[in-house]
Amino acid sequence: MMIELLPGREKQVVHKGGQGVAATEMACGKASTAGSVSQRACVFCGSRVVLYPIADALHIVHGPVGCAAYTWDIRGALSSGPQLHRHSFTTDLQEMDVIYGGEKKLEAALTELIAHHSPKAAFVYSTCIVGLIGDDVSAVCQRVSKKTGIPVLGVHSEGFKGTKKDGYKAACDALYKLIGTGDTSNISPHSINILGEFNLAGETWVLRDYYKRLGIEVVSCLTGDSRVEEIRRAHGAKLNLVQCSGSMTSLAKMMERDFGIPFKRVSYFGIEDMSAALYEAAKFFPDAPEIMARAQNLVREEVAAIYPELLRYKQKLLGKKAAIYVGGSFKAFSLMRALRLIGMETAIVGSQTGDQDDYKQLQEMADPGTIIVDDANPLELAKFCLEKDVDLFIGGVKERPIAYKLGIGFCDHNHERKEPLAGYIGMLNFAKEVYASVASPVWQFAPRRAKRAAVLPQNAVV
Amino acid sequence: MRKIAIYGKGGIGKSTTTQNTVAGLAEMGHKVMVVGCDPKADSTRLLLGGLSQRSVLDTLREEGEDVELADIRNGGFCNTLCVESGGPEPGVGCAGRGIITSINMLEQLGAYDASENLNYVFYDVLGDVVCGGFAMPIRDGKAEEIYIVCSGEMMAMYAANNICKGILKFATNGKVRLGGLICNSRKVDNERQMIEQFAKLLGTQMIHFVPRDNDVQRAEINRKTVIEWNPKCGQADEYRALAKAIDQNTNFVIPRPLPMPELEKLLMEFGLYN
Repeated sequence: MMIELLPGREKQVVHKGGQGVAATEMACGKASTAGSVSQRACVFCGSRVVLYPIADALHIVHGPVGCAAYTWDIRGALSSGPQLHRHSFTTDLQEMDVIYGGEKKLEAALTELIAHHSPKAAFVYSTCIVGLIGDDVSAVCQRVSKKTGIPVLGVHSEGFKGTKKDGYKAACDALYKLIGTGDTSNISPHSINILGEFNLAGETWVLRDYYKRLGIEVVSCLTGDSRVEEIRRAHGAKLNLVQCSGSMTSLAKMMERDFGIPFKRVSYFGIEDMSAALYEAAKFFPDAPEIMARAQNLVREEVAAIYPELLRYKQKLLGKKAAIYVGGSFKAFSLMRALRLIGMETAIVGSQTGDQDDYKQLQEMADPGTIIVDDANPLELAKFCLEKDVDLFIGGVKERPIAYKLGIGFCDHNHERKEPLAGYIGMLNFAKEVYASVASPVWQFAPRRAKRAAVLPQNAVV
Repeated sequence: MRKIAIYGKGGIGKSTTTQNTVAGLAEMGHKVMVVGCDPKADSTRLLLGGLSQRSVLDTLREEGEDVELADIRNGGFCNTLCVESGGPEPGVGCAGRGIITSINMLEQLGAYDASENLNYVFYDVLGDVVCGGFAMPIRDGKAEEIYIVCSGEMMAMYAANNICKGILKFATNGKVRLGGLICNSRKVDNERQMIEQFAKLLGTQMIHFVPRDNDVQRAEINRKTVIEWNPKCGQADEYRALAKAIDQNTNFVIPRPLPMPELEKLLMEFGLYN
């Protein structure tokens, strides 16, 4: 191995061998190694990003002000109506609240905010300190719910409780209290829920349009541009399509168990995966062959519209190398395929929350020599980027400075992005963005390549 | 200034013993401050002749940071100074954090400054050292001498042994030492000998054996220390003796807590002596 890893992390990094070499079992799904500045967020942050896009709900962070401030407007999740979710309400717990307990303050804040904003539901996020002092958040929620007549839901997302994934679970548990409480009459027999799609830069709207053109009713999207009312009737849909599998699989499983709704894993990034997602839904309704016919038409039309332009980008990008580091590994699959489509190689691929199967699949998909990494830290990522001499880094807000400091082009594919990258139009946007970044003349001024030999360890492969 | 913390099992008589001993020290002419570290805020009732009206935390909560020493410190029997940390109702918030805040506040306000001319500070801490907050008085050199109130009852000795574990932990990094066990008699068999032996095994001493006497209860009903209520009674002399023993104590050790079987063996030996 070319790069020194922290002791304890060796099994979380694999250098893919030659063609035909069996996939290695990787360590994953464990707490971050001490001393490794993990790119992962905390439990609370995990809950917050999942529930945040519910636009007509009140979201209040029960804790010191920092928890709310640092997650304020954390996603580029757009709403077609109310904007209440973009506020960052908090009880701002201080010394005396910690000593005397924060329940009264929480109740007062909820009562005042609900009267002022008339939300359709309220989510109360528990932070670390609330877990320590033992505020009975559930009891406050029940009282306020009774008083105001709206669902008030505690999200048990104490930061120290585990990893970001436990935050997803806490968010799903809270969501699940809403599901099953609404009226499901007048729902089409050809209906779906879109799970794990957050309407970043309006992506949900693109997808809703596709399914509408197929003749499939989208009952609810969890949670992109969603409303409390539609979440309440989500159990009336016939199929769940789960995109961000890390965050929403637990909810899909609960809905399968209690309402008999099957679920399928899909992705909306890249031509192949987007098309597969449409066909997957169409196949589920064999009683309506016209849906499949429409899907085939739609795919044909959409691909034809963007393909010539994609080929132009491909010529310019051929042989360029990318690093991918994302939250969930399912997105990494899509990105690898999408990059291949425009002629690029993936030299490094990693995720914060991937599981054993994900990493096995990544290894199978990857080219020989690719580095596959679980729960990386900035130092590792920087060193890998230098070792592989990549032209592009695809990641989120925490990876951006790593790329820019090294003089590497960057593509934001995380929840802050402002450009829709899902669907066919998204694929074109992605290619455009990658091209604009990789082909920018600015990199010739970055000292990286000139200094490469000096920076790398002696035994590095250049 | 000597800084003393009193620990012991809940209900063993820490507050009663502390205040009666403080009365003895004050009577000897010492200037003493008592800091109650119990959210119930009842550690200074006998010295003040009634419950303290304003705890540090209640005052901070109601008036914000703009607090003065006079707002939270009351004069009690024989020129003693009395402070109550206070804290939340049972079952809410974090009383441990309250003690940390309260002691920091007292330091900021200069309650321990040389200009106060204190000879003694006593911290009276509730029950067991359940979390970091209740260990505050023995951290960072806030209290340097610990006395543990116990009796010959199993659970009181068990608690005392546990408290020794806490002291051991802090003693290795700081100046805190165990000054002795105060036996507050519950009239169990061979109590004096058993606690003397227990103290010896812990590496310390039984600094005084306080006999059980109903005068303590009578004084409490009158909201007074025994020395104030009836300076001539025998029990008043017991507390004077305890005060004197503490005043003259030079035996400060890092305790050696006992393993459980050894503690039980001790009980068997003395409890079933007859």
